[in-house]
Amino acid sequence: MATNVPTSQSSGYGEVFDRGYQHYDGVRLGRRQAIRSLIFYSMKRAMGIRKSWTAKILPILLYTSAIIPLIVMIGISAVVPNFEFGSYSNYFGAIFMIEGIFVATIAPEMLCPDRREKTLPLYFARAISRLDYVFAKLIATWTLTLTMSLVPAVILWFGKQLVADSPWQAMQDNVGDLGRVILVGVLIALFLGTGGLTISSFTDRKGVAVTVIIIGFLMVTAAVHSAFAVLEDYEWRKYLVFLSAENLVEGVLNALFHDVDTEMSRVANFSLGIYIAYIVAIVILGTLIIRWRYRPRD
Amino acid sequence: MEHRQRDEQAPIIDVRGVRKTFGKFVALDQLSLSIPRASVGLLGANGAGKTTLIRTLLGLIAPDQGTATVVGYDTQTHGVDVRERVGYMPEADALPSSTTAADFVAHMAEMSGLPTRAARQRAADVLYQVGLEEQRYRLIKGFSTGMRQRVKLAQAIVHDPELVFLDEPTAGMDPNGREEMLELVERIYRNLGIAVVFSSHILEDIERVCDYVVILDHGRLVTAQPLNELGTIGGEVVVVIDGDQRSFAQAIAQQGIAIRESESEVGARELVVDVTDERIYDVIRDTVVAQDVVLRSLRSRSRSLEDIYLGDVSAMREEVQTHGH
Repeated sequence: MATNVPTSQSSGYGEVFDRGYQHYDGVRLGRRQAIRSLIFYSMKRAMGIRKSWTAKILPILLYTSAIIPLIVMIGISAVVPNFEFGSYSNYFGAIFMIEGIFVATIAPEMLCPDRREKTLPLYFARAISRLDYVFAKLIATWTLTLTMSLVPAVILWFGKQLVADSPWQAMQDNVGDLGRVILVGVLIALFLGTGGLTISSFTDRKGVAVTVIIIGFLMVTAAVHSAFAVLEDYEWRKYLVFLSAENLVEGVLNALFHDVDTEMSRVANFSLGIYIAYIVAIVILGTLIIRWRYRPRD
Repeated sequence: MEHRQRDEQAPIIDVRGVRKTFGKFVALDQLSLSIPRASVGLLGANGAGKTTLIRTLLGLIAPDQGTATVVGYDTQTHGVDVRERVGYMPEADALPSSTTAADFVAHMAEMSGLPTRAARQRAADVLYQVGLEEQRYRLIKGFSTGMRQRVKLAQAIVHDPELVFLDEPTAGMDPNGREEMLELVERIYRNLGIAVVFSSHILEDIERVCDYVVILDHGRLVTAQPLNELGTIGGEVVVVIDGDQRSFAQAIAQQGIAIRESESEVGARELVVDVTDERIYDVIRDTVVAQDVVLRSLRSRSRSLEDIYLGDVSAMREEVQTHGH
């Protein structure tokens, strides 16, 4: 909008800025741009970008927790002959808690401030529908969760191939593992992201949402483990795997890599298709619940 | 991208038989009105239906009956198109605290479809326009009430809307801040050419910045017309004559015009005629001639917006009580 006009040809260069309000006659990208903007803005806010430094601490710590061990492992393997990397299942199992905390951090940040600070009327008065708002928040949450559930695992895959005698050949031989790693990462992101966002949609207080996600996660996991042990004689106890996020991911890993050796994974030996169908159903249900939470209050 | 020619003559808002209820509460009752491209005051007491009307016009709530068109688009079938072309400044404090004014206003411009680069540039320029150039990179949580209102105004006009809804923009502001906000609102229509719907229950603010007024009461339309017409049509004419005042008054009354005797502040007897249409002056002139009296003075006494508001609202309430709907 500011227009600059050179005022002198001979002595230097001057500019006159017209700061008056001017009408906008450029391109308008409509709803697509609005959704894109909401996704990126939400992601930046959740990561503490362009906020005070304290807002950045937790995301940085969690990323560090997920990635530094990998870099250390890759470094050691480069200098220690015959160093054995852990399996993908072990790695996913090890960082699952970090992923859970990460989702508990970002999901409330996606929704709660908009409600608490009453920004929603401003959003709904723009070029989006309520459903667009919900999808933008889901996409932002899934994308950020993917950076935690997928990126470190892909680094692990590359690390494993790079320390092989013939890295290029190793990559070609193990490309199937990469596909499985990506699938696990995507399923974890969809499941945890949707769950975290669904819980966050019920409160405008970030602290409450964080607490419910973490405590709920721990309590449900503990309850499922106890019930599984107590119900030893019942065949149907295998379905308990669907109640606990941790055991569900174990089940997915076992279906893909066949190397998870826990009693529950042996009992709950469901096919990959069933796990995928269940996670897709959870995503649809979560989306409907969030949509219901953001229905017009007529 | 769709380019539409602005039709300056067409009503910017057209409402036809809109009814909206919340449970048993009737928020809008068979409301029909056309609003021209102007600076429009939306006047009514709390609960009159102002905010419900604005939310309906933004396509945020669906009316139970009737249709509404804003900037040429049906609010129910083309809500996104409407919202892309209008701005909205809500009454409530609706700003995120831990972001800068520049970031937030630019984000809101993008939310209306502007490309990122244009959004950032317009955000800077609009914040300059509302007097926040120096503070635009400060977090909003450190802003005063007046500054927060300015940010809300900036986000409402950053995407160059055809129409902007301002819901109680001076609420909670001190006299200086209020004065500055009214100046800004005045400029939006007069200098920037953006049509304004200014919702308020402060009559003085409406009189100051608007040239068209819509008065609502209990969800019903009381009146919708240019503000300058309200001052003449519906005012009074004070007549002082030398001659038989009683027969003069009877002659006027026989023509179906309400007239009453009154006493001026200095004790002089005068006649007060309600102005129902422009014909009234001709009737007085002709009666003066017919009655052969001397017309000593004839002056119009326009009603303030407060008189109009109170008079019209109470008249409508009486009518509703007498005739029901």
